[in-house]
Amino acid sequence: MISDYELIMRFIKGEQSCFEKLIHRHKNKVFAYISLYIRDQALAEDIFQDTFLKVIQSVKSGKYSDNGKFISWVMRISHNLIIDHFRRIKQMNTVSNDNYDSDLFNSKSFAENNIEDDMIKRQIQKDVRNMISHLPDDQREVVILRHYAGLSFKEIADITDVSINTALGRMRYALINMRRIMAEKKISLTLN
Amino acid sequence: MKPMGLISTPFITYQGINVKNIDLIEDAWGFNSEFCDVLDLLRHVKPVPEKSLTMNLIEKIRKKI
Repeated sequence: MISDYELIMRFIKGEQSCFEKLIHRHKNKVFAYISLYIRDQALAEDIFQDTFLKVIQSVKSGKYSDNGKFISWVMRISHNLIIDHFRRIKQMNTVSNDNYDSDLFNSKSFAENNIEDDMIKRQIQKDVRNMISHLPDDQREVVILRHYAGLSFKEIADITDVSINTALGRMRYALINMRRIMAEKKISLTLN
Repeated sequence: MKPMGLISTPFITYQGINVKNIDLIEDAWGFNSEFCDVLDLLRHVKPVPEKSLTMNLIEKIRKKI
């Protein structure tokens, strides 16, 4: 498989399709991070697009220096765009965007399963999303970056500007909190 | 009596330990074993962007370049 770095180099030399390959390779991780973190579907889609547009801009202006961590760099850009968004919201003093109940579960097609299975899956997915959304921001971010974006704790620590131990500690608290929420709300892998 | 090497558990060499795709720091904290129930649940959500969103993005990039 061609490395991310090689694709970027080829893109800089004019092979536009190489950037499209990068998008297809990393889109799920980037989208998962943004959509689970900010929850508003429309806003998540905007930030998802802005992230890759900003990546292009930075690559073209020579700001990307490869250290073998392209995805980690892209996640940092996403992270900064999300922070910018919340700063703007705070300045405008508007209320947040908790309409995540609008169906965000554009996961795998359910077509081949029967209705009951679909219901169970949807209920579990809704519960899990709820569970994640109940976490404090810093804990939620670590869970998403580790579990859905697949970053290492060192990369998470770099992106969120904390020590590795702090990132690990946040993860531990997040897991403890989620287990507590699971027990309180009786969430399990079967429908109650 | 068989020689010991044939009946005992073979030793794993240091080089033989597979650590690919494993975050050793996380492993040291034991999250996977201690919180396997929570982590199993998390695997049930897999958000992916709509195909139209990705195509829209690619279109934007094509126009921009």
